[in-house]
Amino acid sequence: MAEAKRHHPNYIGIFIMLAVLTAAELGVAFVSAFSRNVLLLILIVLAVWKALLVALYFMHLRFETNRVRILAIAPLPLAVIMVVAVITEYVW
Amino acid sequence: MTHAETGVMLPPVEAESGSGVYNEKLGMWVFLASEVMFFTALIGSYIILRFGNPLQWAAPGQILNVPITAINTFLLICSSVTMVKAFAAAQDDDQQWLRTWLLATTLIGATFVGVQVYEYLQLAHHGFLPSGYREGHELAEAAAQGGAYKGGPALPASIALYGATFFTMTGFHGFHVTMGVICLSFVTWKAFQGRYSATDHRGVEVIGLYWHFVDLVWIILFTIVYLI
Amino acid sequence: MATTAAPFDQATHHAHVDDRSFLRKYLFSTDHKIIGIQFLLMSLLFLALGGTLAMVMRWQLGYPGQAMPGGGILPETMAPGGILLPEFYIALVTMHGTFMVFFAIMPLLVGVFANFLIPLKIGAPDMAFPRINMASFWIAVPAGILMLAGFFVEGGHAGAGWTAYAPLSALPEMTGVSWGQQLWCLSLVILGLSSILGSMNYIATIINMRAPGMTWFRLPLSIWALFITSILVLLAIPILSGAAIMLLFDQVIGTHFFLPAEGGQPLLWQHLFWFFGHPEVYILILPAMGFVSDIIANGSRKPIFGYHSMVFAIIGIGFLGWVVWGHHMFQSGMNPTLGMTFMISTMFIAVPSAIKTFNWMGTMWRGSIQFHVPMLHAIAFVAMFVIGGLSGVFMAATPVDIYIHDTYFIVAHIHYVLFGGSLFALFGAITFWYPKMFGRLMSPFWGKVHFALTFVFYNLVFWPMHELGLKGHMRRIYDPSQYEFLQPLQPMNTFITVSAFLLFAVQIIFALNFILSWFFGAKAGRNPWNDTGLEWSTPSPAPHGNFERTPTVYHAPYEFSHPQVTEDFLPQDRQLEGQSRPAAAPAGH
Repeated sequence: MAEAKRHHPNYIGIFIMLAVLTAAELGVAFVSAFSRNVLLLILIVLAVWKALLVALYFMHLRFETNRVRILAIAPLPLAVIMVVAVITEYVW
Repeated sequence: MTHAETGVMLPPVEAESGSGVYNEKLGMWVFLASEVMFFTALIGSYIILRFGNPLQWAAPGQILNVPITAINTFLLICSSVTMVKAFAAAQDDDQQWLRTWLLATTLIGATFVGVQVYEYLQLAHHGFLPSGYREGHELAEAAAQGGAYKGGPALPASIALYGATFFTMTGFHGFHVTMGVICLSFVTWKAFQGRYSATDHRGVEVIGLYWHFVDLVWIILFTIVYLI
Repeated sequence: MATTAAPFDQATHHAHVDDRSFLRKYLFSTDHKIIGIQFLLMSLLFLALGGTLAMVMRWQLGYPGQAMPGGGILPETMAPGGILLPEFYIALVTMHGTFMVFFAIMPLLVGVFANFLIPLKIGAPDMAFPRINMASFWIAVPAGILMLAGFFVEGGHAGAGWTAYAPLSALPEMTGVSWGQQLWCLSLVILGLSSILGSMNYIATIINMRAPGMTWFRLPLSIWALFITSILVLLAIPILSGAAIMLLFDQVIGTHFFLPAEGGQPLLWQHLFWFFGHPEVYILILPAMGFVSDIIANGSRKPIFGYHSMVFAIIGIGFLGWVVWGHHMFQSGMNPTLGMTFMISTMFIAVPSAIKTFNWMGTMWRGSIQFHVPMLHAIAFVAMFVIGGLSGVFMAATPVDIYIHDTYFIVAHIHYVLFGGSLFALFGAITFWYPKMFGRLMSPFWGKVHFALTFVFYNLVFWPMHELGLKGHMRRIYDPSQYEFLQPLQPMNTFITVSAFLLFAVQIIFALNFILSWFFGAKAGRNPWNDTGLEWSTPSPAPHGNFERTPTVYHAPYEFSHPQVTEDFLPQDRQLEGQSRPAAAPAGH
């Protein structure tokens, strides 16, 4: 079990990705060419992409069993339900 | 028959197959699920309140210091990398690098908190509090005057919701980072005592999961609080 | 029933040599059984306190404006001359609910029985994280102290109901209460941490530490219920923590989360609170259902009818419980379309509970019923829970709820499910597992007397509340006689009050039975109830380390009247002729 050199994911590569995505977010946020909604969408996509990289590679969810993955994503539907339901107080 | 004979990095063998991971790792993932819900309450409330009161927010960068926070964000991401490198070193039984990476993570984490405290003090000085404008200070006066501010639109009449949500979300995130730094200090100390090996480095993996989670929350917060 | 003493000789006990000091063994113990008993003693005290507060409330309702006997000991700020002030009355209402929900029922169901039963019933030596378990109890203690402190501070205790709706709870100038409400928030945040740590422990233990052969579908229903409950606690309590923190900030640092003056949203509090609050009420009933299943199977000497559907019903209740919270808010001014979705989902959630009810009845049908004390309580649970559940259906229908919301109809519902349901189940569970905790049996005679009197007086107290509610008697009201249409209801209020005093007095029987049996009760053998669970393979009381050797599980949980054995029960860990040991499960499966 104690391997001398086991194969690790490319952590530095992921780090560079994260840095690039952060820079992209900063770049996008202060360019007024986009309409507000488009801006919102792009920023959220970038943020979620970064979050996924951290979750999948740093927290190793990419290499874990399905059981652990289910545990990790279990609270997310609840969070969505709560926010969406309460927002309908302002809309509809 | 105990765990020791089969290695602690595996689930207890005498038991039925459960999660497939050892207790401490399972426990941390379960705990993180509760943390997701805690931040849901705070961040969810922010989303809801902002959705319903869009005019109560200033434009990005007008009140909050985006450049400093961007650097801080970068620092936190760095600390996540040093953390995972520490874990990899533990897996490889590389005690030297384990200590180095852990120490780096702890110090960067402490720096992050320090920068945040500095940021809070600056904001209070300029006149941004959890209750909104601080009377008699720069921001309140700029809002009262009504003109363009720092290259953006006029400041809103009230930023009470902005203040409440900003300080609560980032404050509790900072609290979680602080708790993380304390635990990291303890794990780093243990590493310097040589208490982790390739066959048992549970503490490193578990604090790593917590630390990455804290980073993940910040990735979301930075975007939706500072950039929108 | 075996009542011969099983000598517990530490010298022959293999699991552990127990040479801990008194402090480590009983006060700062990491043993899940001791922690469970610590929670038991603490919660029973809070249960008594919550009941006392209710008696004072009932005095005011039964004899409005009259001096309470013994009320002279209360200070002028609460009851000058023994006559309750309205502000004090509303604090009583708030604290009765708060103490009962958070410091009595929840810790009794979860803190006590999740701790005590889980390792024993799954065949583990202790919880996955014994030291975190100990921390969980010792964090709850200061939370309790803070909550008690509220009575002694200036302005008195929190007075916004256990639901603490904003803006009333956020503005001291509205209630006259400042410190009390802040302590309320703080106490719950601290208690929340205790609960979250506990639930994390229970979940990890059940997933990872089941003995060989204890597959998911061989778990007793009490453990399934505690497992799903723990998931609800894990995910719901943090919402309350967040909301309580925001409320505290509104109170002390000038934020406006819930205050309309600067754009805050009172309804946001209600949504957050009930998003937590509805799973909370399932937290308050699911473990009780689990205990009742175990006890009814035992008392009927039959396997549970429809074990698998029982499991899926528990899971179904756990899932659906997240999407019904708006039914507490039909009258709040919420979006009516949203309200309609909640009405539909709430109607759905009656289904799994009904499945469980029919299965309990199916278990008892043609069983060889033993009317021991736990069985009496369990049967009463089923009947009372049905009543409480049926009144729930009325409330689920939004048009009906418009009329009965915030009346005593709701109070009747709450108490039918929480007292008629959870508390009866708890009386049964405490009696059932008492021998495993203390090595002695509670007196069956006094247990039956307590049961009968409690059952009668309990119904005399709470049944009439349905009628009060339908006639328009609102909740949390200090003086109903200020409304002319409520004046004719005064005799009913007085009747309820007298019944309540008698109900409370009868609980002394339980208290005495509990305390005296500890020292003078008949010594219990390993398995006084001839039950099939793993815990009954250990001595009574169960020793530190639980099992001499990790048990192996061969059977489903309720093998009563099994054809292959002469006794009318087959313990889960008893190997029959021709049965082989299950292969050890491969790691990482």
